[in-house]
Amino acid sequence: MKKEKSWIKILLATLALFAIAVLLYFVFLKNIEPPTEGIKKITVRVIVPGEDVQEFAITTEADTLRQALEEEGLIKGQTSTYGFFITEVNGRKADDSKQEWWCITKDGESISSGADLINIRDNDKYELTLMEGY
Amino acid sequence: MKVSVKAKDIAVIGIMSALLITVQIAMSFLPNIELISLLIILSTITFGWKTLYIIYIFAFAEGAIFGFGTWWICYLYVWTILMLITMIFRKNRSPFFWAMVAGAFGLSFGALCSIPFLFIGGKAMALSDYIKGIPFDVIHCIGNYVSVLVLFKPLYKLFDRLKRKEFR
Repeated sequence: MKKEKSWIKILLATLALFAIAVLLYFVFLKNIEPPTEGIKKITVRVIVPGEDVQEFAITTEADTLRQALEEEGLIKGQTSTYGFFITEVNGRKADDSKQEWWCITKDGESISSGADLINIRDNDKYELTLMEGY
Repeated sequence: MKVSVKAKDIAVIGIMSALLITVQIAMSFLPNIELISLLIILSTITFGWKTLYIIYIFAFAEGAIFGFGTWWICYLYVWTILMLITMIFRKNRSPFFWAMVAGAFGLSFGALCSIPFLFIGGKAMALSDYIKGIPFDVIHCIGNYVSVLVLFKPLYKLFDRLKRKEFR
């Protein structure tokens, strides 16, 4: 009887934990900005320390930043569980041996998801900055 | 709370720290799937307060390898929180119980790691950083729950046997 009660407690606690996880995921989904429908114009600045900043004005019907940048032939990368991971921007490859990586920011604010998870909206401004050090 | 360190303890601390670092690097290609939570729980149950040394050697080694970025600040307290929770329930040996603890820890990892952003950019920045990371917290929760549920019992037996054999 005591063992049975303990099993019920474990089951209820597990269900509660996963219910909270699902609930939090809905909070996340509710807070993602949906892409703008149709044609939108975005600006992408490519920043490499010690070099001139390059700016690209892109007009696209794409929904995600990855699609828009790939249409322009501006990026290359690989897919990871975090989303699409940019390895090369405008021909400049991030050098792993120097711990270089491409950081995506929107209006200077960091974005922790991959380029394929970023929905774009009209007049969005993104920066792709080559960073050194993890 | 008395923490005395003998030669055998130094060896254990060294081996456990090396194990944590190796396991973390070996599994780093799997985002938020980790065995560090499990190892810290097991280490705390087996070695008690000495786990503090293991945690901080691990944290400093991680910083030395990957750079002392903002993410590193949370390594200074997040694993210690898990250790303190484990110390409270140290007598418990139920894999389901520890799977729950590890799962809840995984789910709250992002919230705990967004604390430094409260001081850097205020409440809005911390909240936005936390919300963006929720999918990874959910993965972390499920990963921790399953790994602890499956591995707690066999690894606890191994840790316990080693402790009895080496620390009589």
